[in-house]
Amino acid sequence: MNKLWMEKRNIAVLIAPGLLFIIGMVLLPTAVALYLSFTNYDGVDYNLFNLSNYKEIFLHDSIFWDALRNSILLGIAFVVLQHPIAVLMAILTTHAGKWERPLRILIFIPSIISTFVTSQMWVSLLNVQFGLLNRMLTAVGLSSWKQDWLGNPDIAIYSIIFVAMWQGFGYAYLLYYAGIKGIPSELYEAAIVDGANKWRYGRSIILPLLMPVIRINFVLAIVAGFKQMETVFLMTGGGPSNSTQFLGTYLYSRAFRDGLFGYGNAISILFIVFCLVVTLIMNRLLKKDVGEF
Amino acid sequence: MVASMFNAGVLRRTILVLGLLIIVVLQLFPLVWLVNFSLLKSGDFFGSDVLKWPNPFQWVNYKNAFTLGHVPAYLLNSAIVAAIVIVVTVIVSLMLSYVIARIQWKGNVVLSGLVMVCLIVPIYSTLLPNFFIFQKINLIDNYLSLILPNIAFLIPISVFIFIGFLQTTPRAIEEAAVIDGLSLLGIVFRIIMPISKPVIASVGVLAFLNTWNEFIMAITYISSDKYKTLPFSLIQFTGQYASNYGAQFAVMTLIALPSVVLYMLFTDQITNSLTAGAVKG
Repeated sequence: MNKLWMEKRNIAVLIAPGLLFIIGMVLLPTAVALYLSFTNYDGVDYNLFNLSNYKEIFLHDSIFWDALRNSILLGIAFVVLQHPIAVLMAILTTHAGKWERPLRILIFIPSIISTFVTSQMWVSLLNVQFGLLNRMLTAVGLSSWKQDWLGNPDIAIYSIIFVAMWQGFGYAYLLYYAGIKGIPSELYEAAIVDGANKWRYGRSIILPLLMPVIRINFVLAIVAGFKQMETVFLMTGGGPSNSTQFLGTYLYSRAFRDGLFGYGNAISILFIVFCLVVTLIMNRLLKKDVGEF
Repeated sequence: MVASMFNAGVLRRTILVLGLLIIVVLQLFPLVWLVNFSLLKSGDFFGSDVLKWPNPFQWVNYKNAFTLGHVPAYLLNSAIVAAIVIVVTVIVSLMLSYVIARIQWKGNVVLSGLVMVCLIVPIYSTLLPNFFIFQKINLIDNYLSLILPNIAFLIPISVFIFIGFLQTTPRAIEEAAVIDGLSLLGIVFRIIMPISKPVIASVGVLAFLNTWNEFIMAITYISSDKYKTLPFSLIQFTGQYASNYGAQFAVMTLIALPSVVLYMLFTDQITNSLTAGAVKG
């Protein structure tokens, strides 16, 4: 009996710190955000408690829906452009012999550098006056293509999407590379004995066996589109004229630029809800398991 | 016949490697440009050359970056925050995952569900409410305002990595330890911790990278100079010294370089920790 009590106390000791962090730093802030989202708190005080923030968002706030559209657009760009290239590069590098390791290391380098450095670097790269991109366009005789890549509201979002794909490419690549390396090499030998060439092996064996990894990475990519904040924050801060807002930057702009702290908290709550819903939907949609190996 | 087949194979591989190298060079070219221009005079930025040989090398940019960007002081603050986050995250997550992975009790369903939900909640959804809370309890502008949220949002992924490891570890040693009269805490810290070293390294690397690269909470919560972390070194050059392009590029290179060097040295460990969470799902 005494022993049993000791164990119960020990379980409590083991879970208490983790639970405290989760409750104090995730659940409590969420509850506070929910509370403040019903107010017109401006950083000092509030005198209303109603649903007006949510009403405003759902009925009148087109920037919020643009931010949501930008998030979805980025997620789709990850899935349609970044990931297929990453899968292809991952499969190809495994055939590069002694170059396999150097290539793998080099491809990942942009992803190991802090986002705040690479984002600021891209601000310079896309600079109108001295940026590398406009320089190169001049160098190849395409001066007329020169653009204010981050200052033009029609193209800024595509510049952001491109930079986000560049930053995350190494990571996407690495996950697929690790997935391919997890496939037992006996399968390769068996396939070659059965007369398959490398192309056939890649398409008929690697790709199907990679499906669980691809599935997880698609979920991660879509969610990453929703969670995007850091790159945009430094590159455009959501501008010009709110054309590159994402949920994260928009809640920041509303709270700290416009002083609408309650409103920002309502966006925070919807931010959480969307992330939860998207993850659940993606998991449901892609829940088709492939055999174990 | 055999020789020509061999040659065709070599040729194909050479073309493949060359093609991949071209892609990689294109991918890395912005970084080359960054390092190149970090050695130029600010006046040289407005030429038309794509790359330009520094004549002479402007090492003064690096000196300016160091002093104007307060690199040593901010680096130390980043290191303090990262060190505390790493140690606490590892210990707290290991304890929590041991209970979820090994002990049969009714609280586990709630506990693992909670961890799962926290894995999905975006860290910046807590930016505003935490700003509010930290102001009320006087934690704003303090190491703790960075340390606490960073740990909390690293716990879910760390717990998943630890659980994945514990599920592949046999229980025999622990059972022997129980018979020898070791308590639950003894098992976690004397048996599990030593055999988890590789996974602890993975979780540690992950915690380090996340904390080291975080800047939105830093610029939101921190305002006193004595608590500023490394991102502020760069931010100095987007505001106050915005026209000192050379030093701005130098500070970016300075911040990027240690990460790249560390990555080169510990490629396999870092690769393992980055893929541990996702591949297992």
